Amino acid sequence: MRITAGMTADNAIYNLQQGRAAMETLQEQISSGSMVNRPSDDPLTTRQLLDLQNQISTGEQYSSNITKGELLLNVTNTALTSMSAMMQQVKKIAGDMASGTVDASTKAGALSNLTQLKNQLIDLGNTQIGSQYIFGGFAEGQPFDAAGAFTGTDDALEVEIAQGSRVATNISGGSLLRGGTPPATVGAGATAGSSPTDVIGGIDALIAAITADDKTGISDGIKNMKAAADQITMSQTDVAGRLIRLDNMKSMLANNQNTLKSIYGDLQNVDYARAGVELSQQTTAFTAALSTTAKLTQLSLLDYMK
Amino acid sequence: MGISSIFDIASSGIAAQRLAIEVAGENIANINTPGYSRQQVVMENRPISTANGFALGTGVQISAVRRSYDGMLQQQIVDGNSTYQQNLTRQQALEQIQPSFNEVASDGLGKAVENFFSSWQDLSTNPSGSAERAALLSRSQILVDTFHQMNTSLNTVAKTADNNLVGITAEVTDNARNLALVNTQILATHAVGGNSNELLDQRDLLLQKLSDKVGITTTLASDGTASVTLAGGEDLVQGTSYATLYTSASAAVPPVNEIRLSGLGNPPPVNNKVSDANISATVGGTGNSLGQLGGTLQVRDTMVPAYLAKLDEMASSIVSAVNTVHSAGYGVDGPPATTGNNFFAAAGTTSKSITLDGGLTAAKIAAGFATASDPAPTSSGNNVNALKLAAIQHNSFSFSTGSATLSDFYGSVVGGVGIDTQGAQNVTAQGASFLKQLNALRSSNSGVSLDEELTNLTQYQRAFQGSAKVINVATEMLDTVMGLVR
Repeated sequence: MRITAGMTADNAIYNLQQGRAAMETLQEQISSGSMVNRPSDDPLTTRQLLDLQNQISTGEQYSSNITKGELLLNVTNTALTSMSAMMQQVKKIAGDMASGTVDASTKAGALSNLTQLKNQLIDLGNTQIGSQYIFGGFAEGQPFDAAGAFTGTDDALEVEIAQGSRVATNISGGSLLRGGTPPATVGAGATAGSSPTDVIGGIDALIAAITADDKTGISDGIKNMKAAADQITMSQTDVAGRLIRLDNMKSMLANNQNTLKSIYGDLQNVDYARAGVELSQQTTAFTAALSTTAKLTQLSLLDYMK
Repeated sequence: MGISSIFDIASSGIAAQRLAIEVAGENIANINTPGYSRQQVVMENRPISTANGFALGTGVQISAVRRSYDGMLQQQIVDGNSTYQQNLTRQQALEQIQPSFNEVASDGLGKAVENFFSSWQDLSTNPSGSAERAALLSRSQILVDTFHQMNTSLNTVAKTADNNLVGITAEVTDNARNLALVNTQILATHAVGGNSNELLDQRDLLLQKLSDKVGITTTLASDGTASVTLAGGEDLVQGTSYATLYTSASAAVPPVNEIRLSGLGNPPPVNNKVSDANISATVGGTGNSLGQLGGTLQVRDTMVPAYLAKLDEMASSIVSAVNTVHSAGYGVDGPPATTGNNFFAAAGTTSKSITLDGGLTAAKIAAGFATASDPAPTSSGNNVNALKLAAIQHNSFSFSTGSATLSDFYGSVVGGVGIDTQGAQNVTAQGASFLKQLNALRSSNSGVSLDEELTNLTQYQRAFQGSAKVINVATEMLDTVMGLVR
């Protein structure tokens, strides 16, 4: 094949261009730290990366949902613990009154104590985080009025903690303190101590019974209060169970996120050692190409003719 | 025969070597001229005379100045150019489109969709929260804006392509006019039996330039003129006459450029939009696969509309799914809370027209949904509808490419853009290397080598000196003869 100077020049330009392009790609990878800088770099990996990004950000959203759910449930739990402690006192006072033969001042003390405890239960029923009443269901205002009537709703306020998996972050104040909406009938005689129990109504009935020295009423009240305490304890168990579920889901999500991020990193992060070695190979080749080009294009018969 | 025949022989030598040196000079002068083909002198000895009693030539003559030329190679270069330029045009357009879809490096539409649904999740954890409602509104506006922005940038690419057609057709016409002119000159030279090597080079170069812009079929006549037809079979250059390729605005709103071809002539008849044929459909070759013109038409008519259609599909799916769920829910703008409100304007179902509903306010965002205990939601804490809306993120929609969630579909669009761009880059690179190969072959055959010409130059110079010496000797011989007489 006949070789002309023009061919040598064209070849040199083409090959130097190729060398520059290869170095440019490596330089971009090293400076951005990413293997895939645009979809055309590797369309299939791009697809995977987008999928992973998507899963990671969905996971982050679920984590954030869980954190909010935990906050609500923890506050609920605290309120329930206080309610539980109060019920112990109510039970004790009711037990003390069981004999029916107490002096007037003890009776008055017990009655005022019970009224106070009832009011505190109602106050706890109106516990709020920010503007949200945790026992009010969907309702915005205070779920319990001063007399203990429930004006909230019994709906479960759910959050999504995984695709298609929801956890209620509240328990209904109506079911908790009134045994349902409308309130359950206060048990008497054979039905005393039955479940669900109207806690507030039960305390009211107990106060009435103590005031009237009604021994049967007091003994019904004791049974009712025991059922009421159980009802609150059960709600506590329920909340604790949900908290454990959230906690499990949270650590599962964290594990998942770690795995996803490490896969993402494997696909997207530049292996600097490899890139460095390749860059130095390319540079060597390019330097060699430059030097030979410079030498070859200088050669001409003209230099040797007089 | 006498001494005078020595003069004849020597002077023929001097003339021939001088012409050979001229040709070498021409070659050296045109070493960097694009499209120039190296020329070689073909020397032969002059007719034999037997005046001396035996056959002896009567000197040298130049029988031809030949141009080193491979017609087959030329044709391949013309074809290769058309395909290469088409791919290059596509690649350039795709490289403009790709950044809009570059979800890997920066947040784009995919992220905006994700954020939109995340906002519904956030709202579901605090449905009465005004901060959550405001965040949802602003993220929805970002989603809408991102759709608009992608639509605009895609349309800009199509618009640029459309504008480029004007320049490309003008260049085609310009080259066609020049080719007709060269044809005229070739004919004139041919008529006087002259050597039209340089004109033929110019002709080939013009054909090559034409093939850059548009797919052509060339017919070479025996007199050396070239006739050119376009991909649809229309005559662009016919001997010494040519046609005008030009753009005219279509009746569509907004108008796009149509490509029309005037009748033949020199100069051709004045452009007439009404009677001149509209060859937009055929001029780019099958599937607009030839030349810059084909590539540009493909970008404008096929590529951009295809991507826009995908975006529109997404916009329409989001709008209808979100509106359906949203209008069944209740806001917190009560009492009584309103229901039946759209979230997005129902009429805006494309990436261009998608907007938030005109009446939408933070309070009208329907997070609530009728439940047994909250039948006509009066409670601002009702989050049932917010959960339903957030769940749309994981719904599968029926797209033209099959059933997929919104983010899967968008992922496949991004992957598709990547594959298209990578494909265009690959074929362009292959085309470039193929053309480089062809040009190397052409250069090997037709290119000027300085070393070779210098060697020739020395050779011819020495021969010239030799012939001059012969004349010198003949003169001395003549002097000697004259001396005898004196």
